Amino acid sequence: MQVPDGIALDGVGKTFAGRGKVVEALRDVTLSCPSGSFTAIIGPSGCGKSTVMRIALGLESADAGQVRIAGAPPLAAARDGVTGVAFQDAALLPWRTVRRNVEVPLEVLRQPLRANAAKVQAMIELVGLKGYENALPGELSGGMRQRVAIARALVTHPKVLFMDEPFGALDQILRRQMNLELQRIWAETGSTAFLVTHGIDEAVFLADRVVVMHANPGRIVEVIDIPFARPRAPELFSDPAFHAVCDHIAKVLHGG
Amino acid sequence: MAAEASRWSGLRNAAILLLLWEIVGRLDLVAGGALPGLTEILHRLWIDRADYPLHIWATLYASGLGFVIGNLVGIAAGVIFALFPAALRVFRGVNIAVFALPPIAIAPILVLTLSGMAPRVTLAAMGVYFVTMTATVIGITQADSRARDLIRAYGGGRWDVLRLVQLRGAVPAILAGLRVAAPNAVLGAILAEFGGGGRWGLGTYLLGSLGRGEPDRLWGIGLVATVIAGLSYAGFALLSRRMLGASRAVTLNAAVPEAAPAKLSPVPRLLLGLAAIAMPFLLWWGFIRLTGVPDLISKTPWGVIDYLFLGRSAESAQARLLAALAETLPITFVGMLAGLGFAFLLAISSRLFPRAIAAFMPVALITQTMPLVALTPLLVLILGRGTTLTLWVTISVTFFPAFVTLAQGLALVPRSAEELPRAYGASRWTEIRMVTIPASLPYLFAATRLTVPRALLGVMIAEWLATGKGLGNLLNQSRGFLDYGMIWSVAAVSVALSVLFYQIVVVIERRVLRRVGMSSAE
Repeated sequence: MQVPDGIALDGVGKTFAGRGKVVEALRDVTLSCPSGSFTAIIGPSGCGKSTVMRIALGLESADAGQVRIAGAPPLAAARDGVTGVAFQDAALLPWRTVRRNVEVPLEVLRQPLRANAAKVQAMIELVGLKGYENALPGELSGGMRQRVAIARALVTHPKVLFMDEPFGALDQILRRQMNLELQRIWAETGSTAFLVTHGIDEAVFLADRVVVMHANPGRIVEVIDIPFARPRAPELFSDPAFHAVCDHIAKVLHGG
Repeated sequence: MAAEASRWSGLRNAAILLLLWEIVGRLDLVAGGALPGLTEILHRLWIDRADYPLHIWATLYASGLGFVIGNLVGIAAGVIFALFPAALRVFRGVNIAVFALPPIAIAPILVLTLSGMAPRVTLAAMGVYFVTMTATVIGITQADSRARDLIRAYGGGRWDVLRLVQLRGAVPAILAGLRVAAPNAVLGAILAEFGGGGRWGLGTYLLGSLGRGEPDRLWGIGLVATVIAGLSYAGFALLSRRMLGASRAVTLNAAVPEAAPAKLSPVPRLLLGLAAIAMPFLLWWGFIRLTGVPDLISKTPWGVIDYLFLGRSAESAQARLLAALAETLPITFVGMLAGLGFAFLLAISSRLFPRAIAAFMPVALITQTMPLVALTPLLVLILGRGTTLTLWVTISVTFFPAFVTLAQGLALVPRSAEELPRAYGASRWTEIRMVTIPASLPYLFAATRLTVPRALLGVMIAEWLATGKGLGNLLNQSRGFLDYGMIWSVAAVSVALSVLFYQIVVVIERRVLRRVGMSSAE
């Protein structure tokens, strides 16, 4: 494996058996994300992009091929605290305060909470939720909940950060704001980021490379490098060059 | 403002109702004074005040201890069932039996085999167990699947998921279960008091006063029992409202629920099924061995078969049992169908007359906390000891829970679904025919499942206490004749029948709902 700190998938295949027929969810998915890079993966519903992430997280096992996260098998990497994850919808525990929600990964990894209190506080401040440490999720807006999820994903200082449509439930305006925030946060932490998304503009704005997948069977059809310099400003969203890249990806998505 | 207004109108309705009660009672309009006025009842309550503490204490003790034990067992079993679905399959037969059995049928058995307060505590605990166990299983298995993924994504195991997500996530469901279970415990204790022995307890007091024909005292006891059950409900309702505020999920779970565990191959499935059927009998046998009661008094499953089919008196026993069944079963069905039918019509018409039904709903909800069957002696006063009594007891114990289930189910029908026909100019009736009635189907089945055991319980109680017919009477008589074989046989047959009817409803429900593409309501 040539990228010890990043994500490496090699010939990954996955089939699901349901109702008498077998669905080939993934076929020969090979992808390597260098350390510190930002990769976005995009495709139509049911193309297996979430399955790729779930396999990389160790939530599902691959039927074929090999997966290495920072050089280790997914579950081992997860137990070592190498990975961080944010799901679509914040998936916060409603009975825990913001701080206690951010602490969840630490508890699972059996890390001492008191020794990490400063780190937790720093993450809450990083996502701009200072003053809300003791609020319950029910008292927060959708965007704030998503920030809690991001803080929770970052609290272990993960080398690899997975995000499955983290802003899927937000409106377009809030989503743009969160994209800017995410770019800033990711730049500060220097982790390898892996983003599953539906939004072409979101993928192009954030990523170094956009991976396009097709369904039946789920497979990678093209990997597009995004040339724009960082840090990227919101003006980029109205840049003709930006739109050209987006149009190209849309074409690939629709089988062009 | 609207909530305030409805609260005032609710108070107003209650005041009108109490006033009517008082007038009707004072004028002895119902069955020659069988329904005394409220003030007469309270006055009598005051005169009898010295009698109450010991009776109340006995009932509170039995139901309280039963409540605690039933909940501990229920929650522990629920956690185990949620973690090991195979255990849930094996105990399926036991769980259905506990849910469906008419408590009055096994009360004499418990009195024969256990001593002191134990029968009452056991019956109270059994009334609690099923509700709490179900609530725990549902609470744990329906925990947010995204939160579960999150824990697993950090390498957390099953224990971490249970510890961090599922147990706490199940608390609202369990509290809702406790709310329902609390009045059940009171009912169980009172039924056990009907079923045998003991000097103290509200049930004993009620039975003792029934023969003396003093309506005001009977109503006083009924009132006290209702208030105890109602308070226990209200206490947990308050507690769960406090807890719920902080626990309600803040977003919708958009993730697709995990598919059911891989289909078992035929052989293990068959084994699990057989184990599920064998388990209740195994527990029955083990219970008798554990209590160490002599064979003459306690019958094993084999003992019952011997009594009914092989022994010297088998023929006469069969004849008596069949005659009792022929009296009990028809009226059970008629009462249940009538109760369900009324409930269905009323729930459907709530769409036509929303305000009238809204006024009725609090009354129906209050009955949910009342030990209705335990109030049968009061109905005896009004309706006498004939078949009418049996019918009305059965209808009243089936109607209210069925109505509440249906009305609450219909309230879940999305408003947009109901407004669609209206948007095309449909009449109210068309709207009901196209949307409300089909949408109520899962809840109608849920209500039927709920009422099957209650109907049999209602009939047997009425028979036992008043009419002198059918299974209930046979059970009561056999106690007097020390006919132990018959006591066990009636218990076994009535439990088996309850389970059978329940299963028949479940099978029909699955078929019908699958055909119309709906899933069953919890």
